[in-house]
Amino acid sequence: MSLRGLYMLGMVLILAITTAVHLSVGVGTMPDTLSALISMNAETYEQAIVIYQRLPRALIAIYVGAVMATSGMVLQGLIKNPVASPSTLGVTSGAALFVVAGAFMFGLGAAAQGAAALAGAFFGFLSCLAVARVAGRQNDPRGLALVLSGALVSMLFAGITNALLLSDPSQRSHFLSWVTGNINHVYIDRLYMFWWIGTLAITVNAFLARPLTLIMLGEEKAVSLGVNAMAVSWLAIAAAIVAAGSAVAICGPIGFIGLIVPHIVRPFASNTMQYALPASAVTGATLCLLADLTAKHVFTPYTLNTGLMLELMGGLMFIVIVKKFYLSPKMERAT
Amino acid sequence: MIEINEITAGYGRVAVLDKVSARFSDHRLTALIGPNGCGKSTLLKAIMGFLPLKHGSIWLEGQPINRLRRKTLARKVAYLPQECFCPDYMTLGELIELAGYSRYSLTGGPSENDRKLYRDVLEIVGLTDQADRQVNRLSGGQRQRAWVAMVLAQNTDIILMDEPVNHLDVKYQYAILELIKELIIHHGKTVIIVLHDLNLTSTFADDVIMLHNGVAVAKGSVSETMTPNNIRQVFDLDADIFPRHGRLVCLPQMPHSEKLTA
Repeated sequence: MSLRGLYMLGMVLILAITTAVHLSVGVGTMPDTLSALISMNAETYEQAIVIYQRLPRALIAIYVGAVMATSGMVLQGLIKNPVASPSTLGVTSGAALFVVAGAFMFGLGAAAQGAAALAGAFFGFLSCLAVARVAGRQNDPRGLALVLSGALVSMLFAGITNALLLSDPSQRSHFLSWVTGNINHVYIDRLYMFWWIGTLAITVNAFLARPLTLIMLGEEKAVSLGVNAMAVSWLAIAAAIVAAGSAVAICGPIGFIGLIVPHIVRPFASNTMQYALPASAVTGATLCLLADLTAKHVFTPYTLNTGLMLELMGGLMFIVIVKKFYLSPKMERAT
Repeated sequence: MIEINEITAGYGRVAVLDKVSARFSDHRLTALIGPNGCGKSTLLKAIMGFLPLKHGSIWLEGQPINRLRRKTLARKVAYLPQECFCPDYMTLGELIELAGYSRYSLTGGPSENDRKLYRDVLEIVGLTDQADRQVNRLSGGQRQRAWVAMVLAQNTDIILMDEPVNHLDVKYQYAILELIKELIIHHGKTVIIVLHDLNLTSTFADDVIMLHNGVAVAKGSVSETMTPNNIRQVFDLDADIFPRHGRLVCLPQMPHSEKLTA
């Protein structure tokens, strides 16, 4: 079996094990968990915990992880920058801003907040593009200006979001943990509302896998091989943004999954999108679930926000990536 | 056959090509030569439709080339850019498989015929045993042959190549051009190639187009075009041209350095 086959199989196994552990650690026993899952009917307190708390949490973590990782893979490939991701290109901060602004200023409900998140995700990315254009995007083959603009735009949006949060103490507590990325069972209704968006987006990008890989060889090469590079790029980016926006709508801006998972996946699954996209989805889901498990249990009796946990892990990985791609003599081979 | 009619094209407002006309005959190797910035690469890009034409038209088999769908064009014309970039971790086999994109359906992949073609192509360039290696780990010469293999795997009758032997040592320069020559003779390909080396041109080309400041100064067979007069006009260089072992040799004169070597 090939390396990528082994990797995929191994990752699916790890995901299954992590899910099992995630569902059964804490109150109750393995049999309780199993019977609860089979009957989907809570007769005891333990079974209720599994069905109404742990399962929703696990499902949200899996969804967010898969969606963010595939979006990151697509964005890094198209923008040709190793630190491109929904969280570094203004997408997640734009979505968060729109959700908070919508809820605070217009009293939007959950479904409308979802629409606001999608709009905000696009607004964030377009702002990032606009700032990069002012900085001279034309001379930016490796997307460096775009990533720096993304940092700038994200800071601005985070500032405005915080200002809004501070403005209304009564509503603040609802959003305080959401805004740092919080995987919590109370958001399961939002998952039921929005899961199809990310699924659709991943499917679109899966169909575009081959042309996306070709665009990574250079736009002219791709066009000469029959790819409508412009249309494919924009469609794939739009799908990635929509997917990331839907994840933010559910549990707030979970960062860094989109940034680091592609780097974990590539050495095993290659840079060819047909293999890299499914591998990213499974790896992202596993990583997010692991982070959630850690956040929940390592500091008992306290639970940490999963978003914070990932920022911590991601920050360390970020240093490694920057060192590898920007501080090494081989930096021209980025991505 | 590709025919270009008085095309004017360039980047932004700058016109690099000025009413260039040419006809590229089937089953021949046409070399585009000229000094840096004369419009050789621009001409290939104009044929591929990467640049808007300000004037003139380009015809492929009697059809205006800009009316063809991208996938249709990709089945007829392959293009090797000057600089090629392969993402890390991608293997040679994966790269070659991408070449057939225009023949694949949305969900399908290479057919049995395609797979046989890819094996043959790797054998032609001598990289059969490297298919599972990462492209960026190949040596410079191997990598250049890998890109040539990808162009061949596209399985088109017409191939455009922008300086395919740059950055290669002299042995591989000859090896790759011999390979291209063989494709023309045995597989009926038509090749348009940008070259810098006049001796490689006289050895391998059937026809030559000499460009200078975006104008086609000379067109025709090697013996018609490779004259001291044309070389002087195009490259601003005095050169001796003489036959040796049945091919023309171009030896630039060095009026300023003769004292140094004497």
